[in-house]
Amino acid sequence: MEYAIETFSLTKIFSDWWGRNRVVAVDGLNLKVRTNEVYGFLGPNGSGKTTTLKMLLGLLHPTKGKALILEGDATDPQINRRIGFLPEESYLYKYLTARETLDFYGQLFKLPARVRKMRIEALLDMVGLKAVANRTVGTFSKGMARRIGLAQALINDPELLILDEPTTGLDPIGTRQIKDLIIELAKRGKTVLLCSHLLADVEDVCDRIAILYGGRIQAEGNVRDLLRHSDKTEITTGRLSPAALEKIKQTLAEERAEYTIGSPLDKLETFFINIVARAQQQAVPTSGAESRTQISDFLSAKTDERARREAILNQLVSASPSDEQTATTDTQNTQPQPAPATPADEDLLNRLTEQVDSKPVTMQPTKAKPEPATSDQPDKSILDELTGRPLPDKKNAHPGDSANA
Amino acid sequence: MRSIWAVAVNTVKQALRLKIAAVFIVLLFVLLPVMGLKMTGDGTLKGRMQAFVSYGLSLTTLLLALLTIFTAAYTLTSDVKDKQVYTVLTKPIRRFQFVLGKLFGVILLDAGLLVLFSVIIYSITILLPTLLHADNDQIAQVRNEFFTARASLTPVEPDISEELNQAYNKLKQDGEVPAGVDENPIARRNYRDELARRIGLRKRAAVVGEELLWEFNNVKPEDPNQDLFIRFKYDVAVNPQDLSIYSKWVIGDVRQLRLGTSIETPLYSLERKDLIRTFHEFAVPADAVAHDGYLALAFLNVPLNDTVVIFPLEDGLELLYKADTFTANFIRAVLLIFVRLVFLAALAVFAGSFLSFPVAILLCLSVFTMANMSGYIGESYHVVGAQPNGLYSYVLKPLIMLLPEFDQVSPSKFLVPARLLSWSALGWLSFTTVCLKALPLVIMSLLIFTYREIAKVIV
Repeated sequence: MEYAIETFSLTKIFSDWWGRNRVVAVDGLNLKVRTNEVYGFLGPNGSGKTTTLKMLLGLLHPTKGKALILEGDATDPQINRRIGFLPEESYLYKYLTARETLDFYGQLFKLPARVRKMRIEALLDMVGLKAVANRTVGTFSKGMARRIGLAQALINDPELLILDEPTTGLDPIGTRQIKDLIIELAKRGKTVLLCSHLLADVEDVCDRIAILYGGRIQAEGNVRDLLRHSDKTEITTGRLSPAALEKIKQTLAEERAEYTIGSPLDKLETFFINIVARAQQQAVPTSGAESRTQISDFLSAKTDERARREAILNQLVSASPSDEQTATTDTQNTQPQPAPATPADEDLLNRLTEQVDSKPVTMQPTKAKPEPATSDQPDKSILDELTGRPLPDKKNAHPGDSANA
Repeated sequence: MRSIWAVAVNTVKQALRLKIAAVFIVLLFVLLPVMGLKMTGDGTLKGRMQAFVSYGLSLTTLLLALLTIFTAAYTLTSDVKDKQVYTVLTKPIRRFQFVLGKLFGVILLDAGLLVLFSVIIYSITILLPTLLHADNDQIAQVRNEFFTARASLTPVEPDISEELNQAYNKLKQDGEVPAGVDENPIARRNYRDELARRIGLRKRAAVVGEELLWEFNNVKPEDPNQDLFIRFKYDVAVNPQDLSIYSKWVIGDVRQLRLGTSIETPLYSLERKDLIRTFHEFAVPADAVAHDGYLALAFLNVPLNDTVVIFPLEDGLELLYKADTFTANFIRAVLLIFVRLVFLAALAVFAGSFLSFPVAILLCLSVFTMANMSGYIGESYHVVGAQPNGLYSYVLKPLIMLLPEFDQVSPSKFLVPARLLSWSALGWLSFTTVCLKALPLVIMSLLIFTYREIAKVIV
């Protein structure tokens, strides 16, 4: 299956009771979301994003055109058994508790009671709502409702996840968690369609994006390709001595280049998360959701050929005699597991395999580049991941975060 | 099926936790015991119990009917309005399963509450004689005339067709038939029906000193030692001073007298004085019935009355005898209420499948009101339908046929006079109400909800 979502001239024209005031909400949309990619669907308010999602999911009938989702119709239970959907607001039953909510949706998937119970506990833990699992959803803050909404979208371990403004109402930690989750799900072979107008969210997690305006796609492509300024150069280093700085300035002056030099700033998001993490370490009590970074184990990893190849490569790389690798081996799980890998990792792995054929390795900027934790430490995260060392804390090392020179 | 069950259970939780049902439940919990202790009826124990069962069941029926309408209409419309359908219908559940789940949820809630309040009414009814310290005579009366289920027999109607034809032809010859009636088949039928009603009424009227004979066939009491009951009501041409009629009755197999043969079954006779336009009952030993199930009643309009006595056509006289227990009859009466609630649930789900909550409620309450006066509506439109009319034949008549007849088959009509509601009668009523009237509504709601757009276009 090449495309998880495919539309053909999808059109929605809205008219009033008398057939007047026709508004073209979606206009001949040809959308193609590949399997296993995180696709960002962007657009200002009223651009037709949500209308498109509703047509994809069978909640609205297209005026013209056709929408295929997992090569079928979204109203077919065999198809939507494989889909997870989080609408723009969580739209949950306010009188049900968090646990009952997940149980209700689990029953709709006909999950056996034992599996349901296991998944519910895992998801509640993952979204940080285990402590409030018996509170009714109506008493939840918007962020907590969002979390339980996300949990219901994952109860069936979906192949395709459609998220409409998933970070709306969430605090920075929640936002970061959702973004980490999306990345992790992508690593596990899920396809994610992310609909948002929060550009930073999309930029951080998406492989490809489409920008919608007036019901039409105005731009589409790889995020890095679309955002790259090929006429500019960015260099990030550790702290330099005044003499070295002077030399660089001299060189730049000779090149007649316009430049700015300064120390990179933390993102406010990173700073905020560090402060909250410190408070959590001090066990400051809270009535809200708790922070979690661990994804639920039941959310299956991909088992296709690509995953298998990555797993073998990861095993090969991690088999190197290293003290760190030995120290971090999961002794509880001795079965070979498909190793999570970002597209960046995959590129690197591909290059490593190419190296066997004596081809030169060229380091290129990658989409999901890990950020140096501090300005005076070299970026070793990819190497660490490949050699099996613990991944840097997601809160501190987030793909897409970059220090500006 | 599991999806339908999940939605149904969720619907019950919704009704209970959003306190929609709580209002009705609290009302019934408070009112039923108060009614049991405070209602006096005609002052007798039997009257008090009849009043309690009648008003208790009517109140329960009314409140559960309103609860059904509100819950069924709300559960579907609120899910669409508050958009919970977005998360539910994108799961592997078909839309018809979702609607059926809502319907079954409401029916489940109805069943639970109906059982609860029926048990309360039944318990209070059973305990009332003890609570009111009734004497033995009163207890014996309620045992015979209330705590029972009696089959009803109406007298054999005499064949009046020949008499009708003669009367019509005479009127025609005398030129008294209105112009145009004889040529128009519908008008002629209506005129003859009215004439037949008058002839029938004349046969149920006794002038002073005259005797009326009522004959019953197939009287088969369960126990030959038990009593039969004659239930009757008088109408009069001129009201007597004390509004009472003096009468003499002879009951038994009067054929023995005619044939002059030996008396095999006893004949009973009694004299009475009864108020006019009120139902009365008197007991007759079951051994008065002949071996072939024949029984006759002779009524004599004694000269003291000085007025014509008429037994109304519909309910002027009937014979009642024990055919089942009060408990069994009570259960069937409760099932009758349940059937009514099922229809209302189907109606409200149908309305909620395409209308907003207030409009759906308005529609349901209108139909509910009309169903409670179906007799009047049916008669009114029958007059309209006397003339050939396309609107009536193709629009109004089918709609009236779809309207359930709540006023015609009220549970109180069976329990108060301790009249048998047989399983076959209940089965037929259930079939017509559920299969012929509710099912089309359910099918329409499934089709509408399956093909409608659930979301709104927001641009």
